[in-house]
Amino acid sequence: MQHLLYDIVHVTEYDYQRAVSVSHHLLRLEPRRTPRQLCLNHEFRIFPEPSVVTSHGDYFGNRAHFIAVEHPHSSLSITSKARVAVSPAFLPDTSETPAWETVRSRCRVDRTWGALEANEYTHPSPLVHTSPEFADYALESFTRSRPIFEALSDLMARLQSDFRFDPTATTVSTPLADFHRNRRGVCQDFAHFFIACLRSIGLPARYVSGYLETDPPPGFSKLRGVDASHAWVSLFCPGIGWIDADPTNNCYASLRHISIGWGRDYGDISPVRGVLIGGTQQILRVSVDVSALSPEASADISLVTQVLAASEAGNNEPSTGGSNTPAPRNS
Amino acid sequence: MLEKHHGTALIEAAGLRRTASGMAAPHDECFGQGGLPRPQWTGMIEAIERLGAARLNARWDEGLRIIREHGVTYNVYGDPQGRDRPWSLDPVPLILSAPEWRGLEAGLIQRSRLLNWVLRDLYLGTQRLIVDGFIPPELVYSNPGFLRPCRGLPVAGQVMLHLYGADLVRSASGQWMTFADRTQSASGTGYAHENRKVVSRVLPDEIREVSVRSLAPFFRSLRSFLETLAPGRRENPVMVLMTPGPLNATYFEHAYLARHLGIPLVEGADLTVRDLRVCLKTLEGLQPVDVILRRVDDSFCDPLELRTESVLGVPGLVQAARAGHVTIANALGSGLVESPAFLTFLPALCRHLLDEDLLLPSVPTWWCGEAEGLRYVTSHLDRLVVKPAFGRRRGHSWFGHQLAAADKTHLLELIASRPQDFVAQECVLPSSAPVWTPGGFERRSVLLRAYVATDGSEHAVLPGGLTRVAASVEDPLVSMQGGAGSKDTWILRSGQDDDEESATAIPDHASTDRRLTGLPSRAADSLFWLGRYTERFEQYLRVLRCVLGQLASDTSPESSDRDNRLGHLMAGIGFLLTTDPDDGPADLTGRILDWIYRFDGPGSIPDLMNRIRENAAAVRDRLSGDTWQILDRLVPQPKVPTTRRSIAHAHGMMQGLILNLAAFNGLAMENMTRGPGWRFLDSGRRLERGFSMTTLITAAAFVSGSPTPLLEMILDIADSGMTHRQRYFARARWPEVVEMLVRDVSNPRALAFQLSALRTHLEALQSEFRVGVDDRWSALIEGIQGRLLSAEFAREIPKQEGFDVHTLIALMETCTQGLAGLSDDLTQRYFSHTHPQGPLTHPHPPEA
Repeated sequence: MQHLLYDIVHVTEYDYQRAVSVSHHLLRLEPRRTPRQLCLNHEFRIFPEPSVVTSHGDYFGNRAHFIAVEHPHSSLSITSKARVAVSPAFLPDTSETPAWETVRSRCRVDRTWGALEANEYTHPSPLVHTSPEFADYALESFTRSRPIFEALSDLMARLQSDFRFDPTATTVSTPLADFHRNRRGVCQDFAHFFIACLRSIGLPARYVSGYLETDPPPGFSKLRGVDASHAWVSLFCPGIGWIDADPTNNCYASLRHISIGWGRDYGDISPVRGVLIGGTQQILRVSVDVSALSPEASADISLVTQVLAASEAGNNEPSTGGSNTPAPRNS
Repeated sequence: MLEKHHGTALIEAAGLRRTASGMAAPHDECFGQGGLPRPQWTGMIEAIERLGAARLNARWDEGLRIIREHGVTYNVYGDPQGRDRPWSLDPVPLILSAPEWRGLEAGLIQRSRLLNWVLRDLYLGTQRLIVDGFIPPELVYSNPGFLRPCRGLPVAGQVMLHLYGADLVRSASGQWMTFADRTQSASGTGYAHENRKVVSRVLPDEIREVSVRSLAPFFRSLRSFLETLAPGRRENPVMVLMTPGPLNATYFEHAYLARHLGIPLVEGADLTVRDLRVCLKTLEGLQPVDVILRRVDDSFCDPLELRTESVLGVPGLVQAARAGHVTIANALGSGLVESPAFLTFLPALCRHLLDEDLLLPSVPTWWCGEAEGLRYVTSHLDRLVVKPAFGRRRGHSWFGHQLAAADKTHLLELIASRPQDFVAQECVLPSSAPVWTPGGFERRSVLLRAYVATDGSEHAVLPGGLTRVAASVEDPLVSMQGGAGSKDTWILRSGQDDDEESATAIPDHASTDRRLTGLPSRAADSLFWLGRYTERFEQYLRVLRCVLGQLASDTSPESSDRDNRLGHLMAGIGFLLTTDPDDGPADLTGRILDWIYRFDGPGSIPDLMNRIRENAAAVRDRLSGDTWQILDRLVPQPKVPTTRRSIAHAHGMMQGLILNLAAFNGLAMENMTRGPGWRFLDSGRRLERGFSMTTLITAAAFVSGSPTPLLEMILDIADSGMTHRQRYFARARWPEVVEMLVRDVSNPRALAFQLSALRTHLEALQSEFRVGVDDRWSALIEGIQGRLLSAEFAREIPKQEGFDVHTLIALMETCTQGLAGLSDDLTQRYFSHTHPQGPLTHPHPPEA
């Protein structure tokens, strides 16, 4: 099986018009371990140097870093550098997946761990409400007894033709209903809408934050910093697990999708949250660079494979240090 | 022969006694079988009959007076008249016998243990209760009260529910039941305590005769429980009471409790997280806080990890809790289990977790999120009250039997569309108790809120509680927001409670050691501005009173010339009287009356009153009851009818307000310890008085020609006319005026006096906090002071009438600048912690 190694550099910079006396931030930028992905190395470069950096596993099992800058500062720069090994996703044979209604009822009544965890993602969340309209849209694809993956693929395809990608149409706080009405937006809108559709018919869906490696146009070499953070959706299917689907690009997650983490919606996994004391207007710059290492650079693929195998056997995930609070999660 | 003791007119006339009790009738708290009084009430009934209506009324007037005096208030949301509404309290308490209370106590403790256990499983444990099917997952996962960032936060002593409140109702069969659990931050203990204080003054003998249990030990237990649970079991931990601020419904109680427990009252903005520790921003610097008793809802406590839009919280608080550096009571997330839907599952949870039956049952409650519950609610809507399952605070309730058919259909559709968002409770007819009204006794519904405090091993139940009374006879509903009243709650003492102190003993924590906690910067800021605004207001009133006096004294033809001068003077002082004849009265009298009665913009009388009250409210826990009472009188008057508006009426109004302010200043001088708080208050006043004086002198100098009457008026405004007359036996002239109002260090109204007082304050503050104002300003003030007092300056003021005012005006200008610079610098140095906070821009919608 083919693995790929990526180096990711994600820079977030703020300029404040007046000095901020104290700021507190919560960062969710360290790629987490998943069944198909392992973060080999992660580090932060933060300027000015924070007074406090500490990390903990959050409610959803993502790694969150709390930083505090406790002296006056008029800019903040956060560079997150990660090396991640990604293996291809397992995709079930579409027609052999269970009828979607079976999944719905399993997640309602089953109290075993996987299904109970999934139950949490069937409910409305702060940024994703459920409604009969969303359900109606979904039910055109989720017809009676249709295998869940067939229905899912159909819903993605319909989204692709009904909605337009348009970075100017929405902002980070545009309500879902506006996107539904105007049918334009970015990956966050596509993902939220897709989740809303699934939850409105009782299916568990979560929001995944991550990166997508992009191709340069043919004949051009790749420029630095042109990649972007990305968002997609994960759907639970008993017996198979969570399958990542990218409604913005009408595809299932591939070797080019690198996850940071997930939650119920963007609010649970936003890369940088913060509260400033004394600050005023802010200017924000973000650049993301995702580069696949050449086969020579990642020569020892077998090593990576071993590491992946070890991690799946339940070894500790790598951590950037700091005091850890036990991950609050069912087990 | 009981009949003889208590069978008299007061009770009979009200028809309170019933001889037959049908099943449908509510339980009567006071009278039992055959209309005989219940044993615990006999003493009270005898006392009432002994007093008679007239004396009871007189006693009650006394009670109302105390309530007004103590400034006991309750803010009603969404009602412009609702801010600071006086608390409503009935003189006759609700009385419960010792054995009955013992039963209730056991039930309350059991519920407190049970709910704490449930919270621990959901937040600290493995959520076994969900896995094992005792709690449906939806009840937690779709509950906005379930705060995911708080999962796994360490909790001292495994206690999440330090203070628990239960809302109780007694059904027709006489059984007490819980209709709501209060786990977020139960309000009312402070009001309950205040009620006892008032009633024990109104019925001092009665409360002793019937031997009532004291509330004091409960508050001592609460305090010591919280101390025990400080992180690392620290000795003498620093505790604070965190309030959302003066606009909250129960702010009175927050200030009251803070004073009573002897801990500082703080708002979120007074706290900051540094190095993962919660610190109080004080003038001495940042002081670590160990325990927060919170009255802010948990989801508002940290804008970083909880509700991002909250301005009531402390960024980083969750992280500080995660690091185990602070104990928060109740623990963040504890609001979860006050969702009414939990009531459905408590009996089974109690058997499962405690292996006991629920002693204090809940009012039967059905959750529509379960098929069975939904079916029941749909078919029995008429006898149920429907509520939101996830108890948003002021959520709507629907009474099935009151709904028209169409509304019923609509409600059922609403429930069917989101069944898990609704619960329904059986309508319970509350018990009734006698309530004293101006027309005699009435029988009204009562509800009781009871409280349990714990440190995990011991429990303390408040022997009493907050009894709430329906607003009218017909109204079976009792809601503080809806205008309900309250009663004191008496639990009779039994032999077992003999270690108790007297019910009326009110422990005084006011002298509790405050060394550990300095003056919060925000409080200092408010005191400074309280000083400035009260002084500014007084100055305005003095000017107005003086001008009104002049206008009244002389209406001769020459008066138009005088009116011109007065008009110019007032403009110079900063009264923006309309001068456009089309836009109001043309004559000065009319314009001034217009200003007094109608103007409400910035700098107007109502505006200044509001600013004074806002700043006073922010430091209410630091003002004595008397001081608060005086400031509380500064309420904008209801509109005075045009027919009553006159110079004389306005003059009287100014006079009354000036006396109020004089009383405030007197109390501040006589009753406040000379600590930093007082220094900031007085600095504010001195600065403002300095400004007023320079403005007054400058305005008068400009109006110049300086005819004697104007100078005499200025002396009067500055309260120095009498001294002048005694000292000089002559008409006022500039040199004497300057001498008295500018140079005289012994005249508390003179500029030199303000400067010298300011310098003393600045030096004291500097030595106290090792932070001083910029040398520039202190040097400037010192320079001006030297100049004023110098012999040269004295020479510059000629002894003759032809005095050149420009030197004086220039000096006043320098002085104004110096004072303004000083004020800004002081604010910057001492109060800079009070910067506003704001959220960070979200990076972006991910682009791809």
